[in-house]
Amino acid sequence: MHFDRALTIGSSVRMISPDSKNCAETPEALITRIAGTRDRAAYATLFTRFAPRIKAFVMGQGMTAQEAEDLAQEALLNVWRKAHMFDASKASAVTWIYSIARNLRIDAARKAKRVRELPEDLWQGDGDKAADEQIVDTQSAQIIKKMLDALPPEQKDILRLSFYEDLSQSDIAKTLSIPLGTVKSRLRLAMTRLRTAMDGKSTGVKS
Amino acid sequence: MSAIHHPGEDLLWDYFRGALAPGLRLSVSTHLDLCPQCRDDLRVFTAIGGALLETTEGVAMSDNALDLALARIERPVDLPEVSDAPAPARRPAFLEGFELPPSLQSAEIRGRYFVAPGVWMAPIALPGEPRAAKTYLMCVKAGMEMPEHTHRGREITVMLQGQYRDHKGLYQRGDFTQCDEADDRHMPVMMGDVDCLCLVAQEAAIIPKTWLGWLLKPIARI
Ligand SMILES: [Zn+2]
Repeated sequence: MHFDRALTIGSSVRMISPDSKNCAETPEALITRIAGTRDRAAYATLFTRFAPRIKAFVMGQGMTAQEAEDLAQEALLNVWRKAHMFDASKASAVTWIYSIARNLRIDAARKAKRVRELPEDLWQGDGDKAADEQIVDTQSAQIIKKMLDALPPEQKDILRLSFYEDLSQSDIAKTLSIPLGTVKSRLRLAMTRLRTAMDGKSTGVKS
Repeated sequence: MSAIHHPGEDLLWDYFRGALAPGLRLSVSTHLDLCPQCRDDLRVFTAIGGALLETTEGVAMSDNALDLALARIERPVDLPEVSDAPAPARRPAFLEGFELPPSLQSAEIRGRYFVAPGVWMAPIALPGEPRAAKTYLMCVKAGMEMPEHTHRGREITVMLQGQYRDHKGLYQRGDFTQCDEADDRHMPVMMGDVDCLCLVAQEAAIIPKTWLGWLLKPIARI
């Protein structure tokens, strides 16, 4: 059922080169301004920069354009409301925003599943604290970003399919028509490399 | 002392993307509470996600999206903030003295029942769990033996206290192990003189192999 996906990967999830020159202000600085003075201009900038990307991201994972737009709105609203909890000295803003969007998407999927399967059952939280706690510091985020570019293409493809299309490893194997064991070992290699790089920057201060 | 048996990257990935059934999800999050190494792996996943989000080409939002966003932040927050730490569930008396990780402190743990002398189980109620699946705490008194059994579907065990050994090695607090049909005769042996407590998540019921197991089955509801 994923036969023609491999052909569309290139077109549907194009990467763009980071436009760092245009981003005069880092997202960390923008969130700090929101937290400090409820700065609406900073919020507008952040929204303009991230809402379309979140929308694209979750559309790739199977949401409709409308659902994706709603989720992007919700994610940025969360950024506004939780800005005071963001610590720019500890966390990378992009990964923080990503975590918020990811949690919302998982919640939405579970809610939809529950409504489908147990229509009489009202939605109830299951106490899953999800991944809000996976704080990634700016330095680690930069290392990972750099390392991603340096990964061999076949490892990068596995990661792209995993994240952009939200596929399990067996779905990836089907999509690429390669054995599941190959997918597993490629992901493991990629993870080992990235983990080592991330650990390496903070010798001995692993918390 | 940290865990030496971990879930595979495939399971961690499915946990990360929110695709695990409730019992497996609870098992992985219990292991994560006890394993800094796997928490690091999730941080790597998060960092990859952030990096990919940053370099994704966006899809245009609708024309009034920014206006809507700016209007929404002016509205008062009508819902109370969901507190980050769920209120701890009332803890049954039989769990006194056990050190439960955070993932289990908010779990709804039902009454225990003895399935054999010195062996008890306490089911965990999980919203949305498929009917065939079972998730429970199991405690085996030091020196007792587990009934021999085979598996139908995956079975995950996370050690919370004590030690046991099986054909794959020694398991202690935090250790995560996964068995399936391939593990034909799974016969864990308890070690040491501390009672074993573990979290078990089964995708389908265990098939006991011995006559004792068959006798136990209706009682144990396993
Ligand atoms: Zn681990």
